[in-house]
Amino acid sequence: MSVVREAIVADADDEADGAMAEGAAAERANDRAKAGPKILPIVEGLVLLAALLAPLVLQDYLTVFATRVIILALFALSFDLVWGYAGIMSFGQALFFGSAGYGVALLARDLNVTNIFLVLPAGTLIGLTFALLLGGFLLLGRHPSSVIFVSLGTLTGSYAADRLARGWYYLGGQNGIPSIAPMSLGSYDFTEGPAFYYLVLGILVVVYLLCRFLVRSQFGLALAGLRENEQRIAFFGYKAQHLKAIIFTIGGAVAGLAGSLYAFHEGFVWPNMVGVVVSTQVVLYVLFGGSGTLIGAVIGAVIVEGVSFWLSDNYRDIWPIILGLLLLLVILFRPLGLISFVLGERERVGSFGAKIKENVKETRNAP
Amino acid sequence: MANAFVAAFEILSFGAIIVLIVLGLGIIASMMGIFNFAQGEFVLLGAYITYLAYAKGLPIWAGMVAAPFVVGALGFVLEALIIRRFYAAPIVAMLGTYALGLIIREAVRGLIGGFYLTVPEPIGGSIDIGAMHISAWRFTIIVITLLVMGLCYLLLSRTSFGLRVRATLENPSLARASGISTPLIYGATFAFGAALAGLAGALIVPVFSLFADLGLRFLIQGFVAVMVGGVGSFIGPVAGAGVIGTLSAALPWVMAPVVADVLVFVLAIVFIKFRPQGLIAGKGV
Repeated sequence: MSVVREAIVADADDEADGAMAEGAAAERANDRAKAGPKILPIVEGLVLLAALLAPLVLQDYLTVFATRVIILALFALSFDLVWGYAGIMSFGQALFFGSAGYGVALLARDLNVTNIFLVLPAGTLIGLTFALLLGGFLLLGRHPSSVIFVSLGTLTGSYAADRLARGWYYLGGQNGIPSIAPMSLGSYDFTEGPAFYYLVLGILVVVYLLCRFLVRSQFGLALAGLRENEQRIAFFGYKAQHLKAIIFTIGGAVAGLAGSLYAFHEGFVWPNMVGVVVSTQVVLYVLFGGSGTLIGAVIGAVIVEGVSFWLSDNYRDIWPIILGLLLLLVILFRPLGLISFVLGERERVGSFGAKIKENVKETRNAP
Repeated sequence: MANAFVAAFEILSFGAIIVLIVLGLGIIASMMGIFNFAQGEFVLLGAYITYLAYAKGLPIWAGMVAAPFVVGALGFVLEALIIRRFYAAPIVAMLGTYALGLIIREAVRGLIGGFYLTVPEPIGGSIDIGAMHISAWRFTIIVITLLVMGLCYLLLSRTSFGLRVRATLENPSLARASGISTPLIYGATFAFGAALAGLAGALIVPVFSLFADLGLRFLIQGFVAVMVGGVGSFIGPVAGAGVIGTLSAALPWVMAPVVADVLVFVLAIVFIKFRPQGLIAGKGV
């Protein structure tokens, strides 16, 4: 493990390695960004603060909009795990988002199940199952699949699901499933408003912290290695395909959770939700905000949705064109997204594992 | 008998349309290793130029002839300005061309609004064979597709330009060392692929009418066809397009259209999974 760390660290950050070579105090090893103040926690704190205060200053209809943005940020998080950390381009993330939405909509319509402790796990499970099936099929196997095959395979899956939803009468065809009953807890119904907002914010914070733990663990280290150089990780003896399938499935589960929340918040599901449009939208969020940082995905979702909401009144027609131009500029000149304006490369890569203290010496002794 | 013939003609003409659209996509994917997400929008642009000529009162033929040249020129400019930066990274190329496609699509949507605009067929009416009637325009599309396929094949296999393109594909550094200007070849190849898309758009617009998502409709089918056929040769994607086009047109005759629609994609993905090199493996023409 320590060898891998050294390989990654050496790739990403030579100076940090030098700092570790001094056999510095444990705290210093843990805090490799000692050269400057840590920016990531500040950004995270500011975003959380803004999110907590938002309903107090926003008008009611804007709180409803903010709730939607928070749910989409959760969805963006799922894509960021898959693309930003493991380097799997999933052009079909909406498949898990939308199928979970359809799943909980069917539960509410046909079985009258709206209890929050049943529908949210169900939606998560649906996303997880679909991701496990699709990811297992696309990623596992005797021969490693090419990145092109995986990205086009997920895209095709999402497109096929869209066509299926449009043509299947049971799923409501073109119109989808309208007027889903609100999510309930006992006799309380979650309707649009501050309560729903804080519910999804709470869920987002919990999922965010779980993801943060995940990507900062040894598992996250292996994933980052996978993203930077898959062959090297494979040569170290990791089962690269299994790691990919696992993170893909986790991403699917998070997307499923977001999809079920979205279905109940909007009160309806429609075929676009599983299709290519939403799949590419989530790619936009993460690329804008900055892939490879969790907070980047959240910020990207907020900025893209916020600006598009703001512009849609006056400039509805040209907004998608502006979006395309901005996206092109970001891809060409800021491949790490807007977050890279404030966040250095060193902090973006970050440090991994909880037990870094004991491993410092080991790292030194490794060949 | 008459029914079977009409069905066969429908299947053949849809297959020809898919082949026509995939030709450009396949050439760009095979010769340059880029899956061009903006290809659907090049098709859309070709259709839009044809509509523009019709709306201005020019003969439709003029629009159809102009479309490939205008779209090809645009492709050349885009390659030089933007696409060139993406060669090393196929995924980034997908995202970049997606952004380009988004810009073109939304610009055209802004120009035509959310309407379905019809363009009449330049050759109307039908060809009567005994008691059977087949659309004259669809028949023309089949003929033109065969002609274009043949010309592309000759261009790549028989001319010195084709030789340079293939040399650049097989070994770029050796090609450069031999005095071939590879950037120019890449630019010309991309422009050629774009021009084919423009031609496809111009020819199909009377059949499908013009709407902003026209290109998107064929893009994923095109990608699947390229993968099924096999990236790396000219003939591979064409064969894949033939298979996918024929299947998508033929299956709805024997089962529910919804099931057929999805089944084509599922079959294709399973096929690619177990035969990643596609129907026709290998590089060259």
